[in-house]
Amino acid sequence: MNRQPRALLSVLLVGAVVFTAWLIWRDLHPAPSDTAGTPVATAPGAPVRGGTLTASLRSEPRSFNRLVQASFPTDLYSLLTQGKLVRINRATQEVEPALAEKWEVSADNRTYTLTIREGVQWSDGQPFTSADVLFTFRALYDPKAASVLASSITVNGEPLTATAPDARTVVITYPAPFGVGIRLLDNLTIVPKHKLQAALDAGTFAQAWGAATAPADLISLGPFQLARYEPGQRLVFDRNPHYWKQDAEGQPLPYLDHLVLEIVPDQNAELVRLQSGAIDTLQQQVRPEDLATLRPLVTDQKIQLLELGVTTDPDAFFFNLRPTQWAKDPRGAWMSRKEFRQAISHAVDREAFANTVFLGAAVPIWGPISPGNQRWFSPNVPRYGFSLDKARELLAGLGLKNRDADEWLEDEQGTEARFTLLTYRGNTSLERSSQVLKDDLRQVGIGVDVQTLEQGALIERMLKGDFEAIFFVYFASDLDPAINKDFWLSSGSAHIWNLSQAKPATEWEARIDALMKQQVATVDQTERKRIFDEVQTVFAENLPAIYFVAPRLYMGVGTRVGGLLTSILRPQLLWNADAMWVRGAAVPPGAR
Amino acid sequence: MGPYLLRRLGFALLLVFVVSSASLLLTHLASGDITTEQAFVMDPAARAKLRADLGLDRPLGAQYLSWLGGVARLDFGRSLLYSRPVGELLGERALNTAILAATSLALATLIGVPLGIYTGSRSSGLGRSAVRVASIVGLSVPPLVGSLALVLLAARTGWAPAGGMTSATIVDLSWAVWIRDLLAHLPVPALALALPLAATLERLQSQAIHEAMQAPFVAASRARGVSDFDAVVRHAWPVALRPVLALYGVMVGSLFSGSFVVEVVTSWPGLGRLMFDALKARDLYLVAGCAAAGALFLAAGTWFADVLLAWADPRVRSEGGA
Repeated sequence: MNRQPRALLSVLLVGAVVFTAWLIWRDLHPAPSDTAGTPVATAPGAPVRGGTLTASLRSEPRSFNRLVQASFPTDLYSLLTQGKLVRINRATQEVEPALAEKWEVSADNRTYTLTIREGVQWSDGQPFTSADVLFTFRALYDPKAASVLASSITVNGEPLTATAPDARTVVITYPAPFGVGIRLLDNLTIVPKHKLQAALDAGTFAQAWGAATAPADLISLGPFQLARYEPGQRLVFDRNPHYWKQDAEGQPLPYLDHLVLEIVPDQNAELVRLQSGAIDTLQQQVRPEDLATLRPLVTDQKIQLLELGVTTDPDAFFFNLRPTQWAKDPRGAWMSRKEFRQAISHAVDREAFANTVFLGAAVPIWGPISPGNQRWFSPNVPRYGFSLDKARELLAGLGLKNRDADEWLEDEQGTEARFTLLTYRGNTSLERSSQVLKDDLRQVGIGVDVQTLEQGALIERMLKGDFEAIFFVYFASDLDPAINKDFWLSSGSAHIWNLSQAKPATEWEARIDALMKQQVATVDQTERKRIFDEVQTVFAENLPAIYFVAPRLYMGVGTRVGGLLTSILRPQLLWNADAMWVRGAAVPPGAR
Repeated sequence: MGPYLLRRLGFALLLVFVVSSASLLLTHLASGDITTEQAFVMDPAARAKLRADLGLDRPLGAQYLSWLGGVARLDFGRSLLYSRPVGELLGERALNTAILAATSLALATLIGVPLGIYTGSRSSGLGRSAVRVASIVGLSVPPLVGSLALVLLAARTGWAPAGGMTSATIVDLSWAVWIRDLLAHLPVPALALALPLAATLERLQSQAIHEAMQAPFVAASRARGVSDFDAVVRHAWPVALRPVLALYGVMVGSLFSGSFVVEVVTSWPGLGRLMFDALKARDLYLVAGCAAAGALFLAAGTWFADVLLAWADPRVRSEGGA
């Protein structure tokens, strides 16, 4: 290379370095008034009627039928367009009337008599009646329909029964008293009998309302109706003129004329679009590493950064506790012992973990129920504070000592204290967490070989029991533990450390099973909490899964958006889309 | 020339068959299937039934043979992810990718070839150095970084929409409006694809021109009083075109089969993104269909380049005919 290209290249490189340094300096020095979590410029004034709200969606819906598809886009579609008899207010976590305006419960807490609102219509003008509810229950439990909701709307594995004395009354009977009570019906999306009965009768319900269905054939009971689906690009919703709900002033909802979900598969591009004003809100929370990028825009009152609270779905680290996994492995003698897991919990400095992985935006936790789940969180579970000495002491008690010149511990047979940890490829917080865990355990002489796998491959390895340890996130479907009993019960399909056991493999799992069955059947909510506190204590003593920190979640949203009620659960804002409104037109790209 | 092109056509069809079959078999061998994601929300019996309904419980050989039977009838099966015929999905996305690919190819050619001629025909100068540095940067920057930089630039300055293929507001308007809107959305993804290719073309064309300029017939043309411009463009360039044309086949194929990264980052609804989604979800038939489409484009591109090469260079025709 002669001198001229070299000089030019040098100038370019120096320029790039200076520019990058300036960006970093600017991001690290936000204005003093810039406080994350405090919306500084919420759109003021009374709700505005009309306008279009644009949000992003990371992937496309595979179906518009919530009864047969569990993915997030389908769930979001369902929240925007469909209805439920009752719903859980995701901001307060309380049950509130929806399509059913009121209900009564029988003395034995098994039968709920619900009264349907008068005059509710589907978006095609057909009346919504109890026949639609009965049809929904029929579709839910039809084996040919293979509904993904079927197993979650059962009590002790038994289905609910529904009858309808008249067009406005539905009687739902539980097979046994159920602590969750009427909240269970928040899971049930109502589907229209007059549109889908033919498919159910023909055994093709699982294919009905697939992703290729013309919007005109999709009718709505919710605030919006799908007007257009442009595959790969966007879903455009119009206001449903027949929506039943009104605001406190008696004005019909929703306020918005249109809602657009732009499909933006890349999270970085999604953030750029929020910054430029091309979208009003993200699909889900802001990544910790992006907070610094957004803070200057908060200062400039271009966006709001809303603190949603502490996540209720923290990352879990767990060993394979199937007895068959360690039967022929010499490491089984100590790897499956609770003292080994307790030592690991002691060896991790949770404050440093929060600072390294989540840049400080996280709190230490000691079990699967984080402080974000205020109703069910127990602060009194056993804790394993950061102490390398205690960790070493517990490991020594298992016969693990450094018996040679290297830095790793060995057992009496000379087997090294080492295991392989699987985690999701591409999930930045899990990848960083695995690295921090590896470094922390190295200090006490435990070796960790981290292996990253694509999500489907990792889940398949877990289902087959083909792993030693995993670091991943399990999304609970509800904050109430009785609805997530598949995680707690030893027979559960989400009992991640030892799935679907025929009978409990350990005494403490049998104890949790018994407590959870009692908790599920108890109607008194105070007693349910007491029982669940005990479940959390047994869990924390035995640590089948270890939890280190729970990140604080933040949501970015444009300042022109009002009527925001945040939720810790997805979708954090759009769950309440009928009360959201926008002021003025979207900011054209480049104006910011 | 005829037998030569026929032989290349046969090779192209074989390529499509091998690539699509290998994609299906390799996807099948990877852990998990389309039902894996639902494992925590379905009980095991319901999941087993779903697998049986989708035919995923059949032996690999049986699945492959039934897929081959369908392909022979030009039926690429049904996408497990979208519950739609694969052919229909490919048709939707291939047009979008073709629009992007054609634009990118034109841009890369218009930028890369003239700059290559310019730098190859000069032995020094500030302009030549600047172009060389720009090309090295273009070649060195990964597509992900390049795409993100362009998206960021577009978002910050507003010179073009930061992503997507059309605006939400243009439906039901005239074709002219639709085309104008499409053209407004094209620069970011097209430049993200075109700039590295333009840099490749520039480097290749520059080297080829430089070598051709040393050839005796160019010196002879100059001695006859031909101008510098004519010596380069009319005498050296036709000779220096061969390596560039040879590269075109591969470029056309890779462009038309879609780019995962650029299409994902710029939200362009093309084949690359479709295949990315299909791979993530383990949608066997959609992966095989996308791979077949990609291989078909690659084969068509290579075949087209072979035709161009045979037309441009008599030596190729005589080799093929021999």
